[in-house]
Amino acid sequence: MSHSHGDTVPLHPSSQSDIDEIENLINASFQSGPATVLPARPPSPPRASIPVSSSPFMASNLPPPPQQKSSSTPVPPALPPPIPQPNSHQNISVSGFGSPPNTLTEPVWDTVKRDLSRIVSNLKLVVFPNPFREDPGKALRDWDLWGPFFFIVFLGLVLSWSASVKKSEVFAVAFALLAAGAIILTLNVLLLGGHIIFFQSLSLLGYCLFPLDVGALICMLKDNVIIKVVVVCVTLAWSSWAAYPFMSSAVNPRRKALALYPVFLMYISVGFLIIAID
Amino acid sequence: MDETYASLPTSHLLGSVPAVVSENKKTTNYEVPEANLEIFPPADGGARGRGYQALGNVNGGDEQQAANGWKGVFNVSSYTQYFNVDTDIVLERIKSSLNPLVGNFFRKIEANPDLYGLLWISTTLVIVLASLGNCATYLIRKRNDSSTSWSFDVNFLKLAACALYGYALLVPAAFYFLLHYLGSSANLVRFWCMWGYSLFIFIPSSILLLIPVEFVRWIIIILTGVASASFVSLNIKSSIEANDLIIVVVAAFLLQVALALFIKIWFFP
Repeated sequence: MSHSHGDTVPLHPSSQSDIDEIENLINASFQSGPATVLPARPPSPPRASIPVSSSPFMASNLPPPPQQKSSSTPVPPALPPPIPQPNSHQNISVSGFGSPPNTLTEPVWDTVKRDLSRIVSNLKLVVFPNPFREDPGKALRDWDLWGPFFFIVFLGLVLSWSASVKKSEVFAVAFALLAAGAIILTLNVLLLGGHIIFFQSLSLLGYCLFPLDVGALICMLKDNVIIKVVVVCVTLAWSSWAAYPFMSSAVNPRRKALALYPVFLMYISVGFLIIAID
Repeated sequence: MDETYASLPTSHLLGSVPAVVSENKKTTNYEVPEANLEIFPPADGGARGRGYQALGNVNGGDEQQAANGWKGVFNVSSYTQYFNVDTDIVLERIKSSLNPLVGNFFRKIEANPDLYGLLWISTTLVIVLASLGNCATYLIRKRNDSSTSWSFDVNFLKLAACALYGYALLVPAAFYFLLHYLGSSANLVRFWCMWGYSLFIFIPSSILLLIPVEFVRWIIIILTGVASASFVSLNIKSSIEANDLIIVVVAAFLLQVALALFIKIWFFP
């Protein structure tokens, strides 16, 4: 195959005509009986000649040269009313064969909402493990690094706020410990001959920090040592329980303890930081 | 045990590390007269290590490269040969490090020295020292003047990390180079392995050092230091053939005792 190694593979000549056929069919379905068969690449002039349009795709089309407009005059009279709808759908169908639609022109809130919902769904899958769920590998496939980033920074901030002296050093130590710890834990599994993907593991270890975040927040609000110890023990057990299935299934069963012990060590050290900072 | 492997659908995912099958490496080791676990790091036995690979490539011999197992400094799979241990092997090595009277540790790790012990025992000791050191100062402060003007000292962590990682990495390397200079043979990986396991005894003794009585603390640390130092020195003595290098053995003993005293003085004053 003589394809160029870029993002896009040039279309086979026969597939271009297939695409055009499908476009025509879509157009035909909106027009309830094709008056004419549109040419392979429908010219933009019919669309631009209609002033009423709120679709964003209209705005990006350049105004056509006048000659094309005159040559296609037999076409527009049949088309004008339904054109805004089919054209926008047409554009979607055109772009559907290429890059994903809308991510450049959608509202910022949509983008943020999509990422937030992915974080929440990953969180639910990782931290509240349900042994009867239908697709246990889903969190592994949809990994992202935004969630872990938020949780690590949040934990560092909470610890820094709770500290009475040397606040910036505490944040630095907590952040470095967690970030370097996640990388080293992943490398440990790889060195023990385990099968794990680097960024998936970083993502999972970051999500498993969520219970410790909750614990740190509670400890910041309540200052009693006994309550702190109890809360930290409970959240530590929860974090370890959440991380256990992923780590243990990644290595040879005879080396399970070797892979799990460093995870436990890291969470214990974070727990100790939470208790000791006051 | 391969069910767990088969259940992971990793083969179609990008970036997955291919499985490193170390059994093949073990069986093909016999072809190479100097099995390259002896020569570490390859940059050090420099020409020899790369020479084997270069020869292997020129002759089209794949087995030599596989036997060496060294795929470059930044490739994780070239370090897996030093982590080829199971849980029970690690536990057994830890138990034998607690025994200061018999110097047969090198015979136990002959075939398969591991760096897992070095890495995680020293990391555990760093964390234990930093946390228990803070606990100890808290207890002493509370016992003496009963005013909790104590605040968590993050510097303990930095100090513990620098001291312990520096000691565990540099002292075996120094001994390796010294013994090479003096003509005796030594193997860096085995030295690192042995010194790493020798640090294990400090972990339970750090927990005992929490007792706020000064006299008890000194007893504990002296006992621990002597036990650990005798473990190290007996093993060094059994690994070097020439008997006139007693000074090296004594130096190892003294360094380990110095480490024990440092731990007591800085973290549990």
